[in-house]
Amino acid sequence: MDFPTIISLTESELDLGALLAQITIPTTGAAAIFTGMVRGKTSSNHPRETNFLDYEAYQPMAEKKMHQVAEEIREKWPTIEGIAIVQRIGRLYPGTPTTMIACTSAHRNNGVFEAARYGIDRLKEIVPVWKKEIGPDGEEWIVGHYHPRPGE
Amino acid sequence: MLKVKVMFFATLRDYVGSKAIEMEISSGTTIQALTDLLVVKYPRLEKVKDSMIAAINREYAADDQIIPEDAEIALFPPVSGG
Repeated sequence: MDFPTIISLTESELDLGALLAQITIPTTGAAAIFTGMVRGKTSSNHPRETNFLDYEAYQPMAEKKMHQVAEEIREKWPTIEGIAIVQRIGRLYPGTPTTMIACTSAHRNNGVFEAARYGIDRLKEIVPVWKKEIGPDGEEWIVGHYHPRPGE
Repeated sequence: MLKVKVMFFATLRDYVGSKAIEMEISSGTTIQALTDLLVVKYPRLEKVKDSMIAAINREYAADDQIIPEDAEIALFPPVSGG
């Protein structure tokens, strides 16, 4: 049986339930879903309020790298059945899901938690997407820290 | 001379003032040499040149990588998706 892989870079609203259904196959008995949403109030570090985030992507490379993240998950955890890696772009308001990484397997101890965690960490390292934060005091690009190796 | 397309994203697009430009470069030009040329053309890139990331034809590239004919180059800051 083919294991489903869903990769999507989209301006449309994320339907977590529909995505989960797409990576559930007859042998699936467990899923780990990570989703991130726009935070309206940040208390740690540099406390502030956020009105919305504007996401942009280098679309063809972002899709290629999302596929690469899925392949890396399959190499590390061969027991993973379905993988969904979804990034929403455009203008997103507090409370709105912006990303979803979900992995399914036959049992919970087959690496679903670790695989989903790995997926979001890698997305934040190598998938070319950026966000600009707009708040009551102005706007600012959020810049990451990771420098991929050539070919990574 | 080779013709290449250079795309800019996020902060870099703001500093350059456009999403993409077409350039002619000499054969053997590396990513490092290209970014040096761009900093002269767009001085606001100076402050981000050490942290910028380069891709050639949608793959992460090394500073000393030589740019091929008709390349699609992308320059951007460290990514911040999720």
